Amino acid sequence: MYQQIAMYATVFFVFLLALAFAFVYGESKRSGEYSTIQEKGYKIRKFYFLGLIAIMAFATVMTLGRLPYDSNQAEAEGLNEGKVVKVTGIQYAWEMSEETFKAGDKVQFDVTASDVTHGFGLYNENMELVAQTQAMPGYTNTVYYTFKEPGTYQILCLEYCSAGHHVMVKEIVVEPEGGASDE
Amino acid sequence: MNEAIHPLARKTVVWHLAVTSLVLILMMIFGVIMLMNQGEMISITPQWFYKIMTAHGTGMVGIAALGGTAILWYFLSKYVKLNPAILIVNFVLFLTGVSMVLIAIFVFDFSDGWTFLYPLPAQSAKMYGAAGAVFFLSGMLVLGFGFLILYMYLAARLTAVYGGLGKALGWDIIFRGKKGYGPPAAVVATAMVIITNSTALLAGATVLAASLVNIINPAVTMDPLLAKHLTYAFGHIFANCTIYMAVIAVYEVLSEYTKRPWKANKVFLIAWNCSTLFTLMIYTHHLLMDFAVPKWMLIIGQVFSYANGLPVMVVTAYGALMIVYRSRMKWDFASSLFFLSMFGWVAGAIPAIIDATIVVNHVMHNTKWVPGHFHTYMGMGVVAMIIGFMYYFNKTEGNQEHRGIDTFTIALYFVFYGTCGLFPLCRRNQCTKKMVRTPAAMGAVRPGRRSQRNLYRSGRNHLHRKIFSGLRYVGSQVPYQKNQQLAEK
Ligand SMILES: [Cu+2]
Repeated sequence: MYQQIAMYATVFFVFLLALAFAFVYGESKRSGEYSTIQEKGYKIRKFYFLGLIAIMAFATVMTLGRLPYDSNQAEAEGLNEGKVVKVTGIQYAWEMSEETFKAGDKVQFDVTASDVTHGFGLYNENMELVAQTQAMPGYTNTVYYTFKEPGTYQILCLEYCSAGHHVMVKEIVVEPEGGASDE
Repeated sequence: MNEAIHPLARKTVVWHLAVTSLVLILMMIFGVIMLMNQGEMISITPQWFYKIMTAHGTGMVGIAALGGTAILWYFLSKYVKLNPAILIVNFVLFLTGVSMVLIAIFVFDFSDGWTFLYPLPAQSAKMYGAAGAVFFLSGMLVLGFGFLILYMYLAARLTAVYGGLGKALGWDIIFRGKKGYGPPAAVVATAMVIITNSTALLAGATVLAASLVNIINPAVTMDPLLAKHLTYAFGHIFANCTIYMAVIAVYEVLSEYTKRPWKANKVFLIAWNCSTLFTLMIYTHHLLMDFAVPKWMLIIGQVFSYANGLPVMVVTAYGALMIVYRSRMKWDFASSLFFLSMFGWVAGAIPAIIDATIVVNHVMHNTKWVPGHFHTYMGMGVVAMIIGFMYYFNKTEGNQEHRGIDTFTIALYFVFYGTCGLFPLCRRNQCTKKMVRTPAAMGAVRPGRRSQRNLYRSGRNHLHRKIFSGLRYVGSQVPYQKNQQLAEK
C-alpha cells in the first residue's frame, strides 16, 4: 500500500512541478515589472508555504503512529502467540532457526549478522517487499510480520555486502492454514 | 566587489572542469555497462559489476564535488580575494585520492561500494588482501583532506571579510534586526557548505581512519552502528553539499541573464540557515531500518527530511521561477540548463522526502527507488548545473582550451542520459516490474526460477501500467536471472 501511495504521490507532485515550470517558461517570453512580480509572488508564496506545511504535517500525523518499531510489536505482544525466529546474515546466506510457517503465523524475526552488515528483506510471492530491517553485527533488530497469505516467500539481502550479495537469498514456505499436521 | 578571478585560479577552474567532464563521461559509460548487463545485452561477472558500481558511485560523488568547487571558487572570487594556491592544492590532492581509489578498484579488486560500511572493508581485506581496502580508504582520506583544507581556508577568508561565518549567513539581519540585504548569495552558500561539509569530512575521516586501523590491527575495533552513523553523516552531507555549491551558478547567472537582482533578503537568509541546520541533522534517514537506533533520532530523520525540502521548494526554486517569470530572458544553453536544474533538484527531492517517511521506508529502503531519486537529483540537478556552468564559463572567459571537450561532453551527456532511460523499456516484459520492489544493489543476477516466472506474470498483470512504470524507471533496470549456477550456490 505504502509503495503505491509513494508512487502516485511522486507522479502527482512532479507533474504539478512540471506544470509550474512549463507555465513560467511560457511566460518568460513576455515582459513585466519585477517589483510588481515580486510583490505578487511573495503573496502567493505565503499560501504555497502554508500548503506545503499542511501536507507535511498531515503526512507526519498519519504515519508516525504506525512505526514498524512499535506498532507491530504491540500487536504481537498483545496477542502473545507470536513465533520467535532467530535470523543471522552471513556472507552470503541466511541462517534461520525456523523456515516453515503457516498462514496466520505472527512471527517475530530477531535479526542479526555474524560478519558484515546485511539487509533482511522479506518478499512475498509476488516479489513485493513486505518488511525489512538491517542485519547488523553486534545488534539484534526485531521486525514483526504476520503471514496472511500462504506461498513461497523470499528473504533477499538488502544491503550491499560484497561480491556474493545477489546470491544471498533464502526461500521460506508458508503453508495454508490448517493444512499442516499438528492442528 | 566584482573583482576578476585570479588568472591562475581561472586556469585551475578549467582543469577542475576538464577532469569533471572526462570522469563524467567515464562514469556514464560505467553506468551504461551496468544497465546493459542487467538488461542482458552484455554479460560481465558479478565481481566486475561491483567493481564498476564502486567506481561509478565514488567517481560521481567525487566529480560532483569537484565541479561544485569550481563553481563556488569562480563566483566567490568576485566578492572575496582568494589565493589560487589553495585551489591547486585541492586539485592535486583530489587527483591523488582518485588515483588511489582507481588503483584500489582496478588493480587490487576493491568492490565494497562507495559507502564502505564497516566492517565490510576489513572483511574483504581478510579475504582478498589488505591492499585494495587500504588504497581505497586512504585515497578517500586524501581526497577528504583536500576539501577540508579548502573549507578551512574559505572559513578564514569569510571571517576576514565578513566578520565570521554567522555574519556570512546573515545572522545580524535575522537575529539583530539589521536592515538591508545580507552578503551575496555566493557568500551565504559558501558559509553553509563550510559548516556542513567540514562536519561531514571530519565524520568521514574518523570512520576512514578507524577502518584503516582496524585492518592493520584487527584487535582495534569500532562499533558498527557508530561507524554507520559516521559513514552516512559523511556520505549524505557530502553528496548533498555538491548541489549547494553548484546552485551558486544558478543565482549568479540567472540574475545576470534576467538583469534582475537575486538579493539575500531575510527570507532567503532564513532558508539558508535552515538548510545548514537540517542538512546536518537528516542523515539519520539512512538509518531508519536500524531499529537499534533510538526512536526519537529516527523521527528526527523523518520530520527534518520533510522540512529540509522547504528551503529549496519555497525559496530557491520558487525564486528561480519568480526571476524568470516575464523576464524576456534569453534562453541559451546555460540558462536552459540552470532552469531545468531547479526542476531536477525539486523533482529529485520529492521521492527522497517520501522515502524518508518511516512507514514508507520500511518497504522501500534500499530498493531501486533510491537510485531513481538520486539519479534525478544528480543528473538533472547537480550535473545540469555543472554543465550549464561549463557553457557559461566558456562564453564569458573567452576561448578556453577546453571548449571542444565541453561541447563533446554536453552532446554525450544528453545522448547517454536519454539512452539510459530507454534501456529498461526496450527489453522484455519484466521491465514493468515496479522499481519499488527491486533491491538497489542487485548485480548481474537474480536468483530462482520462481521469481523469474513471477516477473513475467507480474509483467502481464501490470501491462496496463506500462507507461507509468516507464516513467518510474528512469535509469534503472530489473535485475534478471542469468547465472543459474551462481544463484543456486
Ligand atoms: Cu548480504
